[in-house]
Amino acid sequence: MPESTLHAELPRATLVTKKHRRISVIWLIPILAAVVALGIAVQRILSEGPTITIILKAAQGIEAGKTFIKYKDVNIGQVTAVQLSDDYSKVKVTAKITKSAAGLIVEDAQFWVVAPRITLSGVSGLGTLLSGNYIGFGVGKSSRAQREFAGLDVPPAVADGQHGIQLTLKAAKLGSLGIGAPVYYRSLEAGEVTGYNLAADGQSIEVNLFVRAPYDKFVNAETRFWNVSGMNVSLGADGVQLHTESLVAIIAGGLAFDTPSFADGAGPPTGSTVFSLFDDQASAMKKPEANSQHFVLYFHESLRGLSVGAPVTLLGLPGGEVTDVGLDIDPKTQALRGRVEIVAYPDRLIGRLGEQQLAIGQTLAESNQERHAFFDHLVEQMGMRAQLQSGSLITGQLFVALDFFPDVKKAQIDWNLTKPEIPSIPSPLPNLEAKLGSILTKLDSVQYEAIGADLRKLLNSSDQVMQDIDQALIHFDKSITPEMKIAIEAFRKATLSANKMMQSTDAALLSPDAPVQQELRDAMQEITRTARALRVLTDYLERHPESLLRGKPEEKN
Amino acid sequence: MKTSEITAAQAGLIGCNTCSLLTHPVSMEHPGHCPRCGAKLESRRPNSIQYTWALVIAATICYIPANLLPVMNTTALGSSEADTIMGGVIYLYTSGSWPLALIVLIASVMVPLGKLIALAYLLITVQRGVKGGVRERTRLYRMVEFIGRWSMLDVFVDTFTVAMVQLKPLMSVEPGLGVVFFAAVVVLTMLAAVTFDPRLIWDSGTEIEVRPVAAPKGHPSVLNEKSHA
Ligand SMILES: [Zn+2]
Repeated sequence: MPESTLHAELPRATLVTKKHRRISVIWLIPILAAVVALGIAVQRILSEGPTITIILKAAQGIEAGKTFIKYKDVNIGQVTAVQLSDDYSKVKVTAKITKSAAGLIVEDAQFWVVAPRITLSGVSGLGTLLSGNYIGFGVGKSSRAQREFAGLDVPPAVADGQHGIQLTLKAAKLGSLGIGAPVYYRSLEAGEVTGYNLAADGQSIEVNLFVRAPYDKFVNAETRFWNVSGMNVSLGADGVQLHTESLVAIIAGGLAFDTPSFADGAGPPTGSTVFSLFDDQASAMKKPEANSQHFVLYFHESLRGLSVGAPVTLLGLPGGEVTDVGLDIDPKTQALRGRVEIVAYPDRLIGRLGEQQLAIGQTLAESNQERHAFFDHLVEQMGMRAQLQSGSLITGQLFVALDFFPDVKKAQIDWNLTKPEIPSIPSPLPNLEAKLGSILTKLDSVQYEAIGADLRKLLNSSDQVMQDIDQALIHFDKSITPEMKIAIEAFRKATLSANKMMQSTDAALLSPDAPVQQELRDAMQEITRTARALRVLTDYLERHPESLLRGKPEEKN
Repeated sequence: MKTSEITAAQAGLIGCNTCSLLTHPVSMEHPGHCPRCGAKLESRRPNSIQYTWALVIAATICYIPANLLPVMNTTALGSSEADTIMGGVIYLYTSGSWPLALIVLIASVMVPLGKLIALAYLLITVQRGVKGGVRERTRLYRMVEFIGRWSMLDVFVDTFTVAMVQLKPLMSVEPGLGVVFFAAVVVLTMLAAVTFDPRLIWDSGTEIEVRPVAAPKGHPSVLNEKSHA
């Protein structure tokens, strides 16, 4: 069948099963994974804070990935790398700051390492014993961001947001002052020592301290600072003075400040005001002497008991002090004699003049010539002489007294010398022993019997006179006179026993091996030993604070 | 033509995936069910390549955060430390226990990566119809499949540590986000290994053309112009 043949020859249609190119649901899995991973990445990048570098002197237990930067005990960052600086002299710490704290990282922000610190005035950073050291952070005031910082060597003692004033003192030596040592104002703790460093010239120590509000307003440009470290025991001509500010100050040292009354009006301290640190309150609060006059005195007697700083008095009022005690060879006689240099502060004495004489005082204070003339007058006409006197019975300390002796040989002051000489006269009783001895001798040599006899004679004669006047008095005479004799006898006995008593007192107090002195010396030695032991302990603790926990390590040979 | 290299599909047969019974399918399109165990018969796993690719890509994506994010956050005495897998390896190595470091490095870093690379290699060779190395590729596939169950080692170590070291406040260990991704990598590669049909390796490896299936007598057969080989 041609039709069918034709039909058969026609090409056959092909059945092509369309391959399912439908995207399978399975692709949701990689898409989901990608979305989650990207989401985490984006969140990480968005929460990424700034990376900063801090230059420190030493790593001090800082470890990458372990050490945090904390502000108010909140982690604001983490150390990511600790490396040496390019010149190997310092440590470069890289840290990542959380985004929320990024705004804190400004120019004047401060970073320092917080390590456990055990000082006698307190223990700080104890938390770091468990958590390891961390980097402390102090907020800055600037608004300009910065990424490179130099770490502080010592943590700032001033907590954030504390009001007060930072001051700098200049001291000859640090003494027992340490960081954290308290600063007192009228025995109240008003601040603390925040640091110290050697001055650039190496000749003094600069002590930094912080005085908290409200005490800061008592600091003005004229405020005096003095050391109250330890116990201040002074043995002077004024007697024994023991002075301490507090128990902490005894151990850890401390400072005190006050503003002398004559400097009340001084303005507030400027940033560059450098205060000087005085040794004690007395020298700190001393009014500065506008005028001072140096004199030299020569004595031909023992200077034992006369020390530098001993007062010089005029009519018993302090007017200067001894600046040097030494020897001198008299150019005329070649005799060795004692040389005492003093400084006189005429202002002090002038200040004691009465109100109506202030004008005279003023001219004396202002004019050297007037003052010299006045001194000349005192020495030449009035017989003013320097004399060593005993200031204290117990200590035997001497001081220089300027007193008037009208009948001494005339003398003059040679004002041309750099240190004019004030003529001296020997001390009437160079030492107390002699003084007491002579008193006793005198008391001993008093003719009590003779006095009694004379008295009786006198009474007899008066009796005769009286007889004529009044008979009644005879009776009086007869009954009274023997009793008088008895009384005188008793008085003599009393003086003798006083004599004995004084001799024994003398031995107890004044001889070098006298029990009182001996005990005093022992006590002082004991105090010195205790102080030394404490210093050794504090030194050791400072070097090995861990020994508080671990005990003292065994000595290695 | 070597009979030893003929595939079931080429012979018009289907091996049961479950009990391995070789059967005549109803048709290649709709093979029906295994007469012995009743499992659904499949000549080749449908969409095997696509599925495997999807899972391998997902696993690769997860592999990145798994290594970058910490797997463990250790808090000891107030200081906390986050460990990534590589960080742990480096720590173990620097602290002197290099055998342990090696174990962790192999089990946690190299094995997942190796699995991903192996699967990608198998997929690419199958897609390109590469003929050689059939045995080697099959062996590689078996290895990937076998090793899958052991790569959870790291996840197990992590979970054990987290569960045991809870000495708050002295010390505690918390899982990091990285371990989730790590577990995802392991699970996804295991799934990818299962989804991949190894018979595809053999299909391209044998040179024989796929013949249309001669339908057994008595059975209706629907023949395709193109086989699903
Ligand atoms: Zn079966």
